[in-house]
Amino acid sequence: MAFVCNWCTYAGADLAGTSRMEYRPNVRIIKLPCTGRIDPLFIIKAFENGADGVLVSGCHPGDCHYTTGNYHARRRWIGFKNLMEFTGIDMRRLHFSWVSASEAIKWVDLINNVTGEIKKIGPFMEYKGLK
Amino acid sequence: MEEQLRNKAKELLETGCVKVVIGYGWNRTKTRTAPVFITRPEDADRLVWNPLCVNNLSVYLTRKFKDIQALGKPAIVAKGCDIRNIVVLITEAQVRREDVVIIGMTCGGVVYRQELWKGELKPEIMPTKCANCGVRNPRVADFVIGERSSFTPPEAPTGMVFDKIKAIDAMTPAERWNFWIGEFSRCIKCYACRQVCPLCYCERCITEKNMPQWIETSAHPRGNLSWNLTRAMHLVGRCTFCGECERACPVNIPLNLMNQKMIQVVDEAFAFKSGYDEKTHPPMIVFSPDDKEGFIK
Amino acid sequence: MADGFLKKDDLNRLRASVAAKGGRFVAPVTVARQTVFKETAPSDEVALGYILARNSYKEFLFPQTEAIAEFSIHRQGVELRGKDADARDTVIFGARPCEAASLASLRAVFTWGFIDESYTKREDKTVVITVACTSGDDACFCTTVGLSPESAAGSDVMFHETDADGWLVYAVTEKGRAFIEAHADAWSAAAPEDAVARTLFMPPVIAGVDIKKIGERLKKKDHYDEPLWAELTRKCIGCGACTYVCPTCHCFDITDEGAAFEGERRKNWDSCQYDSFTLHASGHNPRDAQWKRWRNRFMCKFNFYPEKFGSKGCVGCGRCVRVCPVRLDITEVMEEMSKRP
Repeated sequence: MAFVCNWCTYAGADLAGTSRMEYRPNVRIIKLPCTGRIDPLFIIKAFENGADGVLVSGCHPGDCHYTTGNYHARRRWIGFKNLMEFTGIDMRRLHFSWVSASEAIKWVDLINNVTGEIKKIGPFMEYKGLK
Repeated sequence: MEEQLRNKAKELLETGCVKVVIGYGWNRTKTRTAPVFITRPEDADRLVWNPLCVNNLSVYLTRKFKDIQALGKPAIVAKGCDIRNIVVLITEAQVRREDVVIIGMTCGGVVYRQELWKGELKPEIMPTKCANCGVRNPRVADFVIGERSSFTPPEAPTGMVFDKIKAIDAMTPAERWNFWIGEFSRCIKCYACRQVCPLCYCERCITEKNMPQWIETSAHPRGNLSWNLTRAMHLVGRCTFCGECERACPVNIPLNLMNQKMIQVVDEAFAFKSGYDEKTHPPMIVFSPDDKEGFIK
Repeated sequence: MADGFLKKDDLNRLRASVAAKGGRFVAPVTVARQTVFKETAPSDEVALGYILARNSYKEFLFPQTEAIAEFSIHRQGVELRGKDADARDTVIFGARPCEAASLASLRAVFTWGFIDESYTKREDKTVVITVACTSGDDACFCTTVGLSPESAAGSDVMFHETDADGWLVYAVTEKGRAFIEAHADAWSAAAPEDAVARTLFMPPVIAGVDIKKIGERLKKKDHYDEPLWAELTRKCIGCGACTYVCPTCHCFDITDEGAAFEGERRKNWDSCQYDSFTLHASGHNPRDAQWKRWRNRFMCKFNFYPEKFGSKGCVGCGRCVRVCPVRLDITEVMEEMSKRP
């Protein structure tokens, strides 16, 4: 599951598509206006609903369409990533990235790498088993 | 000290400076303290001060308690650590400094839970926060009551909470996961942690929003995990480690560990400690272009 | 005359005997420094030196979370499948006389008008073994509400502790007698001669409390807006801890949870202490202040239950007093309410 911002990463993924680049089909993309709009609860909800890994991606620092959204997001992720790590979520399942509108190649590599890493550890049975 | 406190409270009420004094009083059998709200000067003698005064009364300054606000301007009896929470409330525009009279109490530490009290305050019945307390002499108070304390906290924080965090950090992810799922599985979703927290002041909590249902209200491990993670996340950069949530928890979930861990993360990443300066913004509502992280690729 | 004697060492034989017949054995066990009622696994050690378990055993008859139906959404429409309660033979060991008295109150609510089978079926299959109290603490007040450490109401089997390392066993109900017979090999028919029941712990009756007066006072309803309520209960922070540990609190909420196309309809405990409990869709809240919610809880215990069902709303177990983060002691409110005409 990938949460991406509308202006950079989504456009980057779009570029990969229009350029006919091939990458692993495992990712489902959810587009949001900005990484600043990505509530940590989205990520928890994604795991709850069966995601085996989550990727969050947006504009590079300094490039935010709304000037500062990704700076706020970065602060939040620093907290959230450490919280998830402390809880015992395998960090191979949670990835953060900056991908700009022109970085179709980076996007393709990123998805391939993340998918490969998650495939190695398999489905997130610990979370799915919670009832 | 108690006498001084009562006189001060009486004076504040008599002069009409405040309408209510929020403090501690005895229960019927004088074995436990509980919050009291003094509105008449003649009742000021009900106020007490001793190591059983564990509650963080600053929760009563939040907008959750409209009927207390309706009483008029409050004075609050607060330990140094409680004042840190009032400071956070001020930085978050929940309370205006001039709208509350803070009666700061110099403090020699309190008990972790009142049941542990056997007539003497020993280090083993005190919470970790007291052993590392840098605010035994209250700051940001209108009045300070009590002799100046000469206590200086150890340079490297010590105590059970810090030791346990180190132990958890040393575990493998799978061990950490099992540890927390085991702890959270006992959660009964009574929301005492939220209600007792001075910083959980939302009138409509995210867990009460059900269109869509963000957090499952069922008390099963999945819903419990999502609730406890979300609450921990909402306290990042705000929590002052007052320990009320863990004290209030009827099923002994070690919430202090999670909150203290996040305090350490915030301190490392943003060099920020909450509740010391009422003029600085909390770290999660501001940012710096120079924030450092090593995990965003 | 006792109906039998169970040696402490033979408790595991009783457990095994219950398990062999397919029943679950619920008993107090130490978890995270607390004694709690839990469905025991053979490896669990039953706690013996406790005053009262942290939780009420009501959760085995009225679970905190229970799926009552499943739903799935297809192209053709919505499919709903009801779920029956998994009523299993259950033995509750180590109840105290106070909480045993609560089952009659719960039953009254769950059979009032609508028969809630998920409760009644479970209760019908439950045997309550009560152990009379030989210890207590300053939160115990059963004697103040008309119960005592030896009340048998609600118990099926009553145990009395002795100095002979075992319990004297008494059948209270027919269900209890049948249980004793069904597991006859677990206990000896006759007690050893030195088996004398230990002195029970009698909490002192709180002098200022008069249950009758409270009932009459509450009946009049003109107390509703008295400032006394706010004065007494202003400190309540509105968590639900008291209601969740209370053996007679029974409120629940129905909620649909799951993914977009399938999920469960669940019945979850709810608490009258939450501000969203009575919040209307319009935004109006008839109990808009915490003291009104607390007043409701008190009314429920000392007016609704006794008036409507003639049963006890409060059994004096003191759990709410122990668990309260701000030490709002219900007996202090009872005392105040006894003072007024």
